[in-house]
Amino acid sequence: MERGLLISVDGVEGSGRTLHVEALKKWLEDMGYVVTTMGLQTSQLMSEPLSEVKRNIVFQRFTLFLAYATDLTDQAENVIRPSIKSGFIVIADGYANTLKAWALTRKLNHAWVDGVLSVLPKPDISISLISPPTVIVRRIIKKRGFLDPLTSAVDLCINEDLFHSFLRYVNKFQSNLTALTDGSGTVFRTNKTFDQTNKEIISYVEGFLKR
Amino acid sequence: MELKKRKGVIIALEGIDGSGKTSQAMLLRDWLSHKLDTFFTEWNSSEWVHKVIKEAKKKNMLTPSTFSLIHATDFADRYEKYILPMIKAGFIVVSDRYIYTAYARDTARGNDLNWVKNVYSFAVKPNLTFYIRVPVEIALSRIKENRRFIKPSEAGDGMFPHLTPEEGFIKYQSMVMDAYDRISKEEDFIMIDGTMSPREVQTKIRERIVDLLWKEDS
Repeated sequence: MERGLLISVDGVEGSGRTLHVEALKKWLEDMGYVVTTMGLQTSQLMSEPLSEVKRNIVFQRFTLFLAYATDLTDQAENVIRPSIKSGFIVIADGYANTLKAWALTRKLNHAWVDGVLSVLPKPDISISLISPPTVIVRRIIKKRGFLDPLTSAVDLCINEDLFHSFLRYVNKFQSNLTALTDGSGTVFRTNKTFDQTNKEIISYVEGFLKR
Repeated sequence: MELKKRKGVIIALEGIDGSGKTSQAMLLRDWLSHKLDTFFTEWNSSEWVHKVIKEAKKKNMLTPSTFSLIHATDFADRYEKYILPMIKAGFIVVSDRYIYTAYARDTARGNDLNWVKNVYSFAVKPNLTFYIRVPVEIALSRIKENRRFIKPSEAGDGMFPHLTPEEGFIKYQSMVMDAYDRISKEEDFIMIDGTMSPREVQTKIRERIVDLLWKEDS
């Protein structure tokens, strides 16, 4: 049987990750592929405990990082590896690069972060989504109605209002993500219409599949 | 005797299950807490991760990598929340098991030692690490004398499904002990013969701690 493959889609909340994952999944299924999706904080092991305690451990960066690493590794072993073995395509809605960009923006040591995550399978296709911070904030507010401090890097917001602090956070996060993607994946800008970016992603993946 | 001026201190106790290290750690905590601000912490005791681990073990959900990472999460939670602030504030932290437990148990499960070392490299090394060493057979007989059953975690948590709990205990604890023995020198373990009486073991431990914390009478 042909080996499946892993496509990672990385980006900050509001970068369009989930929408593009859904669209890519639909396109691949139309082409006849069997597609499984997974993503940050969706493991059987850690997803519920994380959502319960996150608010209390927002300043414990090593703990949070290791909890997310456990979450991704659990999915790597129970979803990614078996699916790829069965010839499926796995799309990750947030994978190692999202977690790495999160960690680097919080000044965790790069070599340490890479070392911990070296147990994860490498993606065959790595896609990173980037948008101007103001666009991202607008999307989040539209969807949620407000900026939730918990998911808006309140741990980095010192002596500043959450809005401006978050803009700076998104900037740093995205420049880290861009650097991480360089050489091993492709960055797509999502500040065009959804269809334009979607077409770019599809033709990129299509090019890979034809190889 | 006068106390040496120093920042906080971590004292770790390591050893296989049944080595007597928990009793020793508690004796030490009680002795120290009369004199100094002391904090006691145990392996696998984070308020929230502990529950997740227990549940995951019950459902047999852990692989070698996730076993390692989830215990690292438990440790990190206690480290960031208690251990590090305590050290900075000048407490004496007595740790019943520390990162070396992960080195030993995780490699017994097949994880790469260098990978495990990197995972735990955010933690400061203890000022003193006591390795209470007893032969596996003696540890087993102590456990049998004290209570009738062997906990699954003491027999490798399903690593050896075909062995009886006692056989599993011997096999798993031997692997853990080999791992301790291998890192003992490079990590400056103070090896203590755990077959001595509890009082003798405690005396040896206290001697080293007095050297570390107090100035000689002048």
